Amino acid sequence: MKENERKITRRFFFGVLGKTSIIVALLAEAIGAIKAFIPKVLYEPPSKFKIGKPEDIPEGITFLPQHRLYIFRNNDDFHAISAVCTHLKCIVDWKPDQREFYCPCHGSIFSQAGINLTGPAPKPLPWYPLSLAPDGNLVIDSSKQVKPDYKYSL
Amino acid sequence: MKEKLTNIWRKLTWSWSPRSEREASESVIKNFWLHWFPSRISLRSLGWSYSLWLGTIAACLFIILAITGLLLLYFYIPSVRSAYWSIKDLENVVVFGSLLRAQHRWAAELMVAVVFIHLMRVFFTASYRDQRVWNWYIGIGLLVITLFLSFTGYILPWDQLAYWALTIGMSIASEIPFLGKSISFLLAGGNVLGQNSLLRFFVLHNFFLPAMLLFLFALHMWRIRKDGGLTSMDRLIRETQLKETPVSPTKSYSLLGVTEGTTIQVTTTQVLDERNSVRSSPHLLRRIAVVFLITTIFTLGLALLSPAPLEEPANPSVTPIPAKAPWYFLWLQELIAITTIKIGKITISGGLIGGILVPGFLFLLAILWPFLDRSPKEAIGVWFHKKRRIQNSVFILICVVIIVLIIIGLYLRGPYWKFFWPWQPWPEIPAQF
Repeated sequence: MKENERKITRRFFFGVLGKTSIIVALLAEAIGAIKAFIPKVLYEPPSKFKIGKPEDIPEGITFLPQHRLYIFRNNDDFHAISAVCTHLKCIVDWKPDQREFYCPCHGSIFSQAGINLTGPAPKPLPWYPLSLAPDGNLVIDSSKQVKPDYKYSL
Repeated sequence: MKEKLTNIWRKLTWSWSPRSEREASESVIKNFWLHWFPSRISLRSLGWSYSLWLGTIAACLFIILAITGLLLLYFYIPSVRSAYWSIKDLENVVVFGSLLRAQHRWAAELMVAVVFIHLMRVFFTASYRDQRVWNWYIGIGLLVITLFLSFTGYILPWDQLAYWALTIGMSIASEIPFLGKSISFLLAGGNVLGQNSLLRFFVLHNFFLPAMLLFLFALHMWRIRKDGGLTSMDRLIRETQLKETPVSPTKSYSLLGVTEGTTIQVTTTQVLDERNSVRSSPHLLRRIAVVFLITTIFTLGLALLSPAPLEEPANPSVTPIPAKAPWYFLWLQELIAITTIKIGKITISGGLIGGILVPGFLFLLAILWPFLDRSPKEAIGVWFHKKRRIQNSVFILICVVIIVLIIIGLYLRGPYWKFFWPWQPWPEIPAQF
């Protein structure tokens, strides 16, 4: 085979090499830039938190604004329901007269047990498990969910 | 002295001075500031009644927004702790700060309305067909960017409206199939709305979206010229009943600023003459100046009459009752509230249907419409042509549905998104703090 009949010439090879390295370098830069936008550390409130001593929690239903949930107390039985609407994450409002939760944004209504009754909410409000910390504080783990008949008894 | 100043002014604005009518035409094309205008403009395109000057008004509103926005940037602090209080300062401490902010807000709201009415004008005059399809698409892009600009804009004060609009917006974004969760995480910079979210929306609002808008605006203007000007020209040419002439290889099309063989001016002999057209400079320029002046006075007047609202500082524990989006998003909020459906055991959230699928479908419809349009060429450049009765009706129906949904959301929805007639009093809701 003569030299000038070769399909891949030196000029072609270095041309491809040059273009490829430009593309690879730009892609690497772009991926790096995008990666910078995915936070590695989130300074967000923990999903497991203390809500105070059981004896300090009043009887009935109490809204905990900081944790965006409702805590229910019936003597020594406790359970916690999220106050974040399952539709578009507005905070539902407890109506003591109707004994229901109302969402201000799009009008979803949930029963006392968090079941979505009417409105656009697609799912019931999640229930969170409770536990007792060694220092006597009640602890809620909002990363887990429990069934709506859950009760934490002291 | 005066002559000297005139000379300096001429050097700055005219790269070359005309000595005849022909040279005057050429001067528009040779001039840096004017080269995007045609040398002559037909009286029909110049008239108020054909285009209603909506595109120009939208561009003027953007200039007002850019100037007021740039000034606002000097007083705004994009931090969760300070943003609200910097707006409070702007309202109560900065001299004319409230007016500046009110004009920015009014211009923004008007821009959404004007861009949409501009789209309606283009539809009713069938100005989106053949070579103009690309400009129709660019226009839709401009509408979408305008909406995103106003959305990102009302996030910035970090008041209750901002916080809950962003909460709902991010929840809708996370309803996008497959990618939703990642998109909302990336946009908000976390699972919880906070400093990352505010800063990201700040940069979007002040750099990326305006830059994209300017780029598309330049393309939009360029394409108007390439596509043969306003569609009123097409009608003018049809009515003068000129025979079509083939593209001439010796003819220079560059002076017209149009692409060879694409537009009606190219395929017919030149129709613009002393009887039906005027020179762009000064006639078109003067009219643009008048439109700009009226737009400025109008936004300033509205700003004087009504300042921009500011709610309480953002409070993640309390959703305002009722929480309403700005009017141009209320039709979506209404859709989101009423479109959750149950099929057997599967429930599809209204966030997906009303927030993603319906707007997505409308967007797709706008993209496909030029290809579904089967009306004759005579309809181009004519308001409400009778051969387009059906498609105009469908389009009007869509617009009416959107407007009705906005009216319902604006006037007929009370606490907890319940239906109230305007004369029905709302129940008293105790304020929560």
